[in-house]
Amino acid sequence: MIRVIKNIVDYRELIAVLAWKNVTVRYKQAYLGIGWAILKPLTLMLVFTLLRSFVGIPSGNVPYPILAFAALMPWIFFQESASEGVQSVVGNAALIRKIYFPREVFPLTSMMTKLVELCINALILAGLMAWYGMTSSVYIAWAPLIIVYTMLVSLSIAFAGAAINVYYRDVGAALPMLLSLLMYASPVIYPLDLVQSKLLVQQAAGEWSNVLYILYTLNPLAGIIDSFQNVVLRGLPPNFSALLPGAIMVAIGLPLSYLFFKRAESHFADVI
Amino acid sequence: MPVIEVNHVTKEYRLGQFHSLKQSVLDAVARLRGHPVQERAPFKALDDVDFKVEEGEVLGIIGQNGAGKSTLLKMLARISVPTSGSVNVRSSVAALIEVGAGLVPDLSGRENVFLNASILGMRRAEIKKKFDEIVAFAELEDFIDTPIKRYSTGMQVRLGFSIATSMDAAILIVDEVLAVGDLAFQRKCFDRMEDMIKRQGKTVLLVSHNVRQVERLCTRAILLDHGVVINDGHPTDVCNFFVDRSNQKIQANQRINQAKVTTSGEIEFGAIEVIDENGSSTDSIEFLRPMRIRLTFKASTPLQQMTFYIGLHTTDFIYLTAHNTAYEPVNLEMGQHCVELEIRAMALLPGVYCVLAWIGQPAGRTVFHGESLSSFRVFARDYVVTRQRDRGIFHMDAKWNLNADREEAKLLTASQKG
Repeated sequence: MIRVIKNIVDYRELIAVLAWKNVTVRYKQAYLGIGWAILKPLTLMLVFTLLRSFVGIPSGNVPYPILAFAALMPWIFFQESASEGVQSVVGNAALIRKIYFPREVFPLTSMMTKLVELCINALILAGLMAWYGMTSSVYIAWAPLIIVYTMLVSLSIAFAGAAINVYYRDVGAALPMLLSLLMYASPVIYPLDLVQSKLLVQQAAGEWSNVLYILYTLNPLAGIIDSFQNVVLRGLPPNFSALLPGAIMVAIGLPLSYLFFKRAESHFADVI
Repeated sequence: MPVIEVNHVTKEYRLGQFHSLKQSVLDAVARLRGHPVQERAPFKALDDVDFKVEEGEVLGIIGQNGAGKSTLLKMLARISVPTSGSVNVRSSVAALIEVGAGLVPDLSGRENVFLNASILGMRRAEIKKKFDEIVAFAELEDFIDTPIKRYSTGMQVRLGFSIATSMDAAILIVDEVLAVGDLAFQRKCFDRMEDMIKRQGKTVLLVSHNVRQVERLCTRAILLDHGVVINDGHPTDVCNFFVDRSNQKIQANQRINQAKVTTSGEIEFGAIEVIDENGSSTDSIEFLRPMRIRLTFKASTPLQQMTFYIGLHTTDFIYLTAHNTAYEPVNLEMGQHCVELEIRAMALLPGVYCVLAWIGQPAGRTVFHGESLSSFRVFARDYVVTRQRDRGIFHMDAKWNLNADREEAKLLTASQKG
């Protein structure tokens, strides 16, 4: 673990430059430029809002569009860091065959690129909140920590996925699909309160309800999204009980994923 | 203490396609059930390579295509790891494996300098300091803010080389990059390399097909062949050995190649033989020694007014000599014939040459014409001569006079006296 952090420190300039390159190149010859980064969450937010007008999703005392946008921010950040992280090693095949540096730079760079977009979306969220006349409480200080935790979650997938993707491109192809399925199993369209009230309060699934709820929160994004909404919109502390099962998963998964990546790393140049 | 240690390094690759996920799963199942699995054959790109490089040494690595040179450099640059054995590099390394790897077309020259130099491991402060020098060396001052997708190939390569060689590393690994840009820029690259080697005392590993370059820049050379080090020593010796081997290989290939023959059917080609001064048929002739070329054929009808022409050409069809009998046409009877061209001294420099023959009437009617009918190698016992093929083809009988000015003065005084 110490070596990971040392590598990140040693190669921080490279990661920064590569991330800057990704951002620049992506929007260089586009009229909307960086505007594309906000288009995806905004569009989804509008779609969800439209959807809600048919099915009726409770949103508490927070306007639904903002609630959805605050859910989409960490979700899209996670989804894209993970799927682009998985593609990052294969996508940089030319560099891998020619130049040496620790290969974890690539997944980390993909994540940093997405962090830039996340920051832009944060501005949009701030704008939306101002529009609806909402203010944040002191609990917003938790937000950066929640984002850092989201990074660890995406890296758990990105490291192992990127390494396997070098050998079997199936992973890179399957992951976006799996992740879009995971979105429905995460409180993005609907708030976590809804799941809680269905399973814990109404015991909708009978004796399995509590187990199901634990299973649901094993998905780290469940806790992340709800906590993010809590600290930014609801003026509440993070939802630690929902975060815990996922955090245990990550605490086990991330080191394994990283070790797997480092073991596979030395053969990347031969196989890629 | 050596800065680079390569200890019994072997690198194996599996031949053929990498298995699909399905095949891997099937194989795993088969293995579990105790069934044999078809393994892909291993291929040894490097086989027990073992050498050390001392600080300040300039090591040239030569060998034919596929000898394992680039694989070796990849191990040294940490891009790839050996299957067995170990590689120890005790210093910072700048690897110029392919200049321009990682240049991004959409970014401007300026942005690419920062990006590429960072990828190569330079710090931002260092890049800023060297920026002007890098741009000046690449001669791109006017274009530095243009996206490099608008650059010519030469400009891109110049930028790549300039960035790569501006790194301050104690060990420089160079793979065939000196052949970039136009002649003037090549010269500049060469000078820069030479400067790094001779004045800055860097340890350099240079892979090149250009034997003369290796000889000039290096203090030691290694010849790789099919992943094995077959010669290690003074660059001149190793290069000579390599050139001679290459000639033998060219000749071997030439023999497999089919001769190009056109015939009117009146003559059936027998053979072209190269005969040395002892009268025995051979495929190698010593430089400046006598030889004969014998042409045997069978005439299927009597032929009137026939002339012969025997010439030599290089393996890439540059015609070198032509001897004919245009002024002495002969009548040929039906049956076996044999003509010989006697060469008093083989004046072609060491290398591989081919024989062509033509039989026909002086007016131009071709009865038989064949190129690459046979090939032979000219060799010399003196390696100074062996290597002259880089600079020419023929040896011209000549004499040096190293005191020409004095002799001329003597002649002048003699004529004045007279």
